[in-house]
Amino acid sequence: MLDLLLIGLSAALINNFVLSYFMGICPFLGVSRRLDSAFGMGAAVTFVMTISGGLTFLLQQYALIPLGLQILQYVAFIFVIAGTVQFVELYVQRFFEPLYRAFGVYLPMITTNCAVLGVCLLVWSKSYNTLAQALTFSFFGGVGFTLAIVIMAGLRESIDFADVPAPFRGTPIALFVAAILSMAFAGFAGMGSQ
Amino acid sequence: MLTMLLSGGLMLVIATVVCAVLVVAHAHLAVPVDPRQAAIGDLLPQANCGGCGFPGCAEYARALADGRTTADRCTVGGPPVTAALAKYLGISLTPNAPYRPVIHCSAKRSDRLGQGDYRGIPTCTAANVTGGVQGCAYGCLGFGDCVTVCDFDAIHMDDGLPVVDYAKCAGCGACVRACPRHIIEQVPFRTDRVMVVGCCNHDPGKVVLEVCRVGCIGCSACARMMPELLHMHDNLVVLDYDQLTGHEDFVPVQAKCPMKSLVIMGKPQPHHEQELAHVAAVDVAHPARHSAETRFDTQNWRG
Repeated sequence: MLDLLLIGLSAALINNFVLSYFMGICPFLGVSRRLDSAFGMGAAVTFVMTISGGLTFLLQQYALIPLGLQILQYVAFIFVIAGTVQFVELYVQRFFEPLYRAFGVYLPMITTNCAVLGVCLLVWSKSYNTLAQALTFSFFGGVGFTLAIVIMAGLRESIDFADVPAPFRGTPIALFVAAILSMAFAGFAGMGSQ
Repeated sequence: MLTMLLSGGLMLVIATVVCAVLVVAHAHLAVPVDPRQAAIGDLLPQANCGGCGFPGCAEYARALADGRTTADRCTVGGPPVTAALAKYLGISLTPNAPYRPVIHCSAKRSDRLGQGDYRGIPTCTAANVTGGVQGCAYGCLGFGDCVTVCDFDAIHMDDGLPVVDYAKCAGCGACVRACPRHIIEQVPFRTDRVMVVGCCNHDPGKVVLEVCRVGCIGCSACARMMPELLHMHDNLVVLDYDQLTGHEDFVPVQAKCPMKSLVIMGKPQPHHEQELAHVAAVDVAHPARHSAETRFDTQNWRG
């Protein structure tokens, strides 16, 4: 139980996917303008990450390894992720229509979000060997992504009211803020053994 | 060989499972979309520029299908797309009056009083931040920033005052944005020629008389003659172009103006063409053009 807690804490805070692995930067900058759509994006990524993290773990454990086909890891994982994203897209369009329109092109782009593929691959490179560990890691990876994107959206909403020098308006100041935010998260570095 | 077969087989299994799940999900979750939306989307240019005020072509198509907006919003497609959309949606089009710039200043160099000796950067933008270039703090400075930005060669300086060549003007609004004193305004031309208040000075009449020979002194004689069209606002007469029908006779009201600051602008009449040709020939010799290589004008940008 303690190791699951440590894995979760490590994935969400210490090795935050956005702020220390620099994965998933595209939606992190693209959908962090408004707090509500940022939270929706975080929730969608968390959902996709958890589902595909669990599915790819099972796929690897019960199909790829017994058949000796680890070479298919990337292509098979992308396949599963793409399928999951399609499913999430249908689901969100049906039940969260405004959120679906707020996402725009970024929802299909979760397919190519490297944070999602990163989770699936890191499960193996960190040699987690139970489904519980894999699910914890991928779920809290998504929680960490949500945390980062929501903090970022809050900051950017405040920046809208700030007197930013003309050359830094828009994306440049967002990148500065992201950099300072990742320095703040660097304070967690070295905590825990994971 | 076995590995290859296994790989292919495994990918096939994964594909089948994913497809089955998605087919079931689609059957239960798919949202019915207005079929007209896709058809309208096909008519749009798919530039997704946002010029219509919607996030993209798909959103505009959606708004059109719901009847929430008008068919003339697409700036990329222009009139052909508007016509196609109107045809598809079964709505009739009423022609819009084209918007063209008019200049709210009629003072040529000799009409401007209190001119200083300005030897700075020869642009309106630079002269505008310098005090004492001329007495009038509202009117045209005459350095021709509007001429510089015009991509259609449709605006020329005539004795320090811009003259629009309405035969060439496309109504893009570049001159409106370029003028640091905001004296150029886009107005609807319901007729070929409209009357324009050739002044934008909001000072009291006495002050205007000190700085200009043709400025509006706010006597409101014209506003009393055409009360539905002309309104006094802050010591200046303003023409409400939305009330213009195109059948007004402006000759009496122009004659009434003691300063002659009500002028007619628009398509040149036959006897004007010679004058216009003369102006174009005299003044477009070497307009200071922005360089194509850099966005920074060498005259405006001094580090």
